[in-house]
Amino acid sequence: MIEASGIPTVSLSMIPDLTRAVGVPRLAGISYPMSRPLGNPHDADGQRAVLRATLEILPRAAAPDTYVELPFVWPESPAKVRSASKDIPPSPIVELVTKKPWLLANLYRGHIPQQEEVLDRAIP
Amino acid sequence: MSIDSYRFLAFATRQVMKAWAARQQRGVIPFTPLTKPLRECTVALVSTAAIARNDDRPFDQEGERRNPWWGDPSFRVIPLGTSESDVRLYHLHIDPRFGQADLDVVLPMRRLTELAQEGVVRQPAARHYSIMGYILEPEVLVGETALAIAERMRADGVDAAALVPA
Repeated sequence: MIEASGIPTVSLSMIPDLTRAVGVPRLAGISYPMSRPLGNPHDADGQRAVLRATLEILPRAAAPDTYVELPFVWPESPAKVRSASKDIPPSPIVELVTKKPWLLANLYRGHIPQQEEVLDRAIP
Repeated sequence: MSIDSYRFLAFATRQVMKAWAARQQRGVIPFTPLTKPLRECTVALVSTAAIARNDDRPFDQEGERRNPWWGDPSFRVIPLGTSESDVRLYHLHIDPRFGQADLDVVLPMRRLTELAQEGVVRQPAARHYSIMGYILEPEVLVGETALAIAERMRADGVDAAALVPA
């Protein structure tokens, strides 16, 4: 919508297949963990390099759905990343589908329950 | 696709993200070419980390706890110069401590200012923005929030914007 209003945009994404599924004009994919899109706290040089690489896609893109994979490599193992945030409680939706896994099917089918519906039944 | 940041996620979160990706339907993707060199551009940032200034209204975490299928579709203005001590991150799907320790992890306003000093861009915009990144039904986000942000960007003479997920 910002793009449609006449302002060119570029999107950074750690989950580029989700962002591409939505559809954006210019996309920079990065292999960084969620919660740390620009890099680690206080790593100014690393953060600046990611921001610069992202912005430099703006003049390069000639058509929508331009996708560039940024070359940055996360310095820690996935296990270490998961362990660093293991004391953060799961989001409400993750907590719900952990208890009631059949509700995940609703999400796949695009059935988002409205407030007044019974929220915990599977949609046939 | 060679980028797989799903590997950093816990199993249940990964399943929800994949289900979310699978249900997306693409429409026509808008495209506005950049009409001047990047070094002449005023640039604004949009973070999805649900950042609100301490003197502003928080994002609605309670509403999402009551109905996990819902997410707060509003936005907050984050003026240039705002630092981590002036804000809180309200996103329930991320580890907010990294952005809380250093706001540039999620909203790199200081890094953008440095890139302006290096001549990569002309200047950072006076105002930047945050939304909350978990919105399964994006009608309000797209129809109202994004339009309101775009209006403010135009008023500030913004030439290009970078969207940063969290």
